[in-house]
Amino acid sequence: MKVVLKDLLKRFTNSDRAAVNTINLVIEAGELAVLLGPSGCGKTTTLRMIAGLEEPDSGRITINKRDITDLAPKDRRVAMVFQNFSMYPTMNVYDNIAFPLHAIKLGRKEIDETVREVARLVNIDHLLQRSVRQVSGGEAQRVALARSMVRRPEVFLMDEPLSNLDAKLRVQLRTEIKRLHQETSATFIFVTHDQEEAMTLGDKIIVMKDGDIQQAGTPHRVFFAPENAFVANFVGTPSMNLLPGAVQKTASGAYRLQLPGFDLALPARFNDGLNNLRGDQVIWGIRPEAIRLAAETGENCVSGVVELVEALGSRDLIFARVEDQLFRVIVDALDSTAVGAPCHLRFDGAQMHLFDADSERSLLAEQTTAGTG
Amino acid sequence: MNESDASDNANQSVSTRFYHLTQRHRHWFFIAPALLILLAVVIYPILFSTGVSLFRVTFASQSRPFVGLQNFERMLSNDDFLQSAFNTLYYVVFSVSGSFALGFAAALLFRRVTAGKELLRLILIIPITMAPIVVGLMWNWMLDPLFGLVNWFLGLIGIPGQTMLAQASTARITVVLVDIWQWYPLVFLILEAGMATLPRAPYESARLEGVPSWLIFRRITLPMLRPVILVALLLRTVDAFRTFDIVRVMTDGGPHLTTETLSLYLYRTAFTFSKLSRAAAGSILMLLVIGLISAIMFRYLYREVELG
Amino acid sequence: MRVPKSERILAYVILITMASLVLAPVLAGSITAFKPQIIWVSSPPTWIFEPTLENFEFVFFTRKGWLYLRNSLIISIGSVALALILGVPAAYAFARFRFRGSKALMQWLISLRMIPPIVVGLPFYAMFLNLERTFNIGLRDTYPGLIITYQTFLLPLVIWMMRGYFADLPAAMEESAMVEGYTRLGALLRVVLPVVWPGIVATAILNFIFAWNEFFLALILAGNRTSTLPMTAGTYIVRTRVEWGNLFAVNLIIMAPVIVLTIILRQQLVKGLTFGILE
Repeated sequence: MKVVLKDLLKRFTNSDRAAVNTINLVIEAGELAVLLGPSGCGKTTTLRMIAGLEEPDSGRITINKRDITDLAPKDRRVAMVFQNFSMYPTMNVYDNIAFPLHAIKLGRKEIDETVREVARLVNIDHLLQRSVRQVSGGEAQRVALARSMVRRPEVFLMDEPLSNLDAKLRVQLRTEIKRLHQETSATFIFVTHDQEEAMTLGDKIIVMKDGDIQQAGTPHRVFFAPENAFVANFVGTPSMNLLPGAVQKTASGAYRLQLPGFDLALPARFNDGLNNLRGDQVIWGIRPEAIRLAAETGENCVSGVVELVEALGSRDLIFARVEDQLFRVIVDALDSTAVGAPCHLRFDGAQMHLFDADSERSLLAEQTTAGTG
Repeated sequence: MNESDASDNANQSVSTRFYHLTQRHRHWFFIAPALLILLAVVIYPILFSTGVSLFRVTFASQSRPFVGLQNFERMLSNDDFLQSAFNTLYYVVFSVSGSFALGFAAALLFRRVTAGKELLRLILIIPITMAPIVVGLMWNWMLDPLFGLVNWFLGLIGIPGQTMLAQASTARITVVLVDIWQWYPLVFLILEAGMATLPRAPYESARLEGVPSWLIFRRITLPMLRPVILVALLLRTVDAFRTFDIVRVMTDGGPHLTTETLSLYLYRTAFTFSKLSRAAAGSILMLLVIGLISAIMFRYLYREVELG
Repeated sequence: MRVPKSERILAYVILITMASLVLAPVLAGSITAFKPQIIWVSSPPTWIFEPTLENFEFVFFTRKGWLYLRNSLIISIGSVALALILGVPAAYAFARFRFRGSKALMQWLISLRMIPPIVVGLPFYAMFLNLERTFNIGLRDTYPGLIITYQTFLLPLVIWMMRGYFADLPAAMEESAMVEGYTRLGALLRVVLPVVWPGIVATAILNFIFAWNEFFLALILAGNRTSTLPMTAGTYIVRTRVEWGNLFAVNLIIMAPVIVLTIILRQQLVKGLTFGILE
């Protein structure tokens, strides 16, 4: 079911500040969309408005062309899984799953069949008679999943359902949610602040900040072609190296970038953007994975000293100091180097990012015209 | 077909508007009944009292001339009123400080014992749950000059029988002591509960750093307990300020008005002497004073804890 | 906390002394309720005697104590029930909805705890009198009159205590039920109420104790028909002599249920006594 948010606005109570700032968003039928952003960015408020738990100040929400903006939560044919609530404590697992079915008139036999079928789907059919005290946190969240599925909703809303679980369970349930999404082929909208979770789950990632959508696109797009400095910084761990700098046009028409202590040649794909730039101030970005340790210095290469090495397993994270700047560099553990050793950093021109220092928008032409949202 | 569509839409927009209205103001559906009752049983009586205090109203007479602030002037220049105001202040100062000191001491000592805590706490709770009037009557019996246990006990150690409640010099302090007996356990209970919720980490780290225990008390316990202490003081102050039951049954204000509290005096003014307006003026004055005191204490409290 | 042995012994000595001073008068007085009349005032006190229930019989039947007990029960239970019916929904709203003025309203509710009973008792008497004279509505010396009046101190306490219990539950609990096909009211009744039930019981008990012990408003507004137990206790003091045995029989009838309820309630007591200001 296609979910469309049109000019959705929600202000904070007793304030003129917007929690969700007139956003527009289309989530295609069957898509698993992830709302990603730091706390307070409006992602949960957006989800709660879709569920009907918050009333928008203005704007419309439609599911499959049906305008649900004015419907009570119970009439929206959506399901929701919450972060800090999983099971009704006064009911056992079976009654929890059956609970949504009691709201609609349904025969006992039909209820029983549905409960057992759904319980099997999330692997808790052996726990049906357990009480809240007898199930673990992960199992309780499976009960919440089962309860959300039992009415066969058109849209699943998930508000950080995994963030109260420990790391191992989180990964396990993440896989399971992905599987459920494929089996039910329903539309999923998943809220998280964990960008790794967003990457692994999402067909589409919607990055939000301060009530605005910063970028909406595939995990690939969001990671490799961030539309602004915020997305560049927020997505990816360790995060992208971002440095302020000034650009200069050379006689040949190419651009060079002046950074504190060194300068670089900029690839031609930035030329259109740079020609339209007001002033010369930019933010230059490069992911730690796009920096190589070179044997000797050369073009687009600077010299520095290794200050810190963190082992990440098969790879190492190196902190290399160049002048006043600390660079995060990811290298293969076998190619790693020792603390205090001099090193040469080579920047891959194809993986450089450039943002307007004022607007923080990307200077790649096709992206700036794409705009936000 | 078109017509029915149109009317459907019209209906929906009315019901939609209604839905939005109920959603935006849903809290009033829950709160309004309670609020209306409170307006009727608290605000209206206070307004009524204020009104009455500006007229001369008695239970006997039907004529009610407007007298402006005369009732207030009469009250403030009335020796008995001032005497009872002074007595009330005396109760507040000594009952609050006495019960606070004892209760705080008990709470601190309570942290140093292990076995039997539950039983000790249960025993100390008893006075709080007793009706003040029962406490007063019980102590009347305890303090009886002829057969009371207190005098019997004093006799055992060679002190002759006393009529503490009948003598102007001892009646007031005796009533205050009984009040303290009833309410220091409340201070104990509040502070003990407050101390139980204090985090352990600051104590452990202070101990590791070799901080002496009096300094731990001054720099860690007291600051962290501040909101709890304020609540205990606030509750004790407002309760001492309106003391009525205990005094009513122990001395009924006597001898010679030495134990008369404001509540008692106003009660008598209204119901024994039928001077309703004057009593109303007095009660409004009382409300203003306690309002001022609790406003000041609340200001301090709000600085400490976030409410609501 | 590690405490030196000497310090611990000293703490025990003082605390046990405190407990004895609390317990002694209560026990000694209560024993008097079981003494036959001839030793009510014996000096030195008689400790060994054959216990009798004649004081209770006298108080209960000759002096119509059962009537006052009935009045006390009707007024206390009635006023607590009304306070819960009005207060629980309000408490829920304060715990769940943020709205303009919610904080100020809550603070106003605590401030009601500070109002001296004389301030409302006095006008109540006059208002009831007026109602009688002008509209012929009798509220003086009736159960409804007292039950309504008692809301001045019960209702704010119910709202504050229950607000705390509701706030302890995740809002997602009823929101989940609302998404799953129930109205907010349905979610409240089916999901929240079963969970918050122990809190309602605790609130009811504490409020019952306050209503049960109430003296001042009853003194002003109750009459022959609605006298409560605390009001009758004073009637055993006559100018010439005090019927101590009978008096303590009444005292015990007032105290006993409260002490039992307190033992049941002891975990929740502080929350109630402090108005739940501290959480």
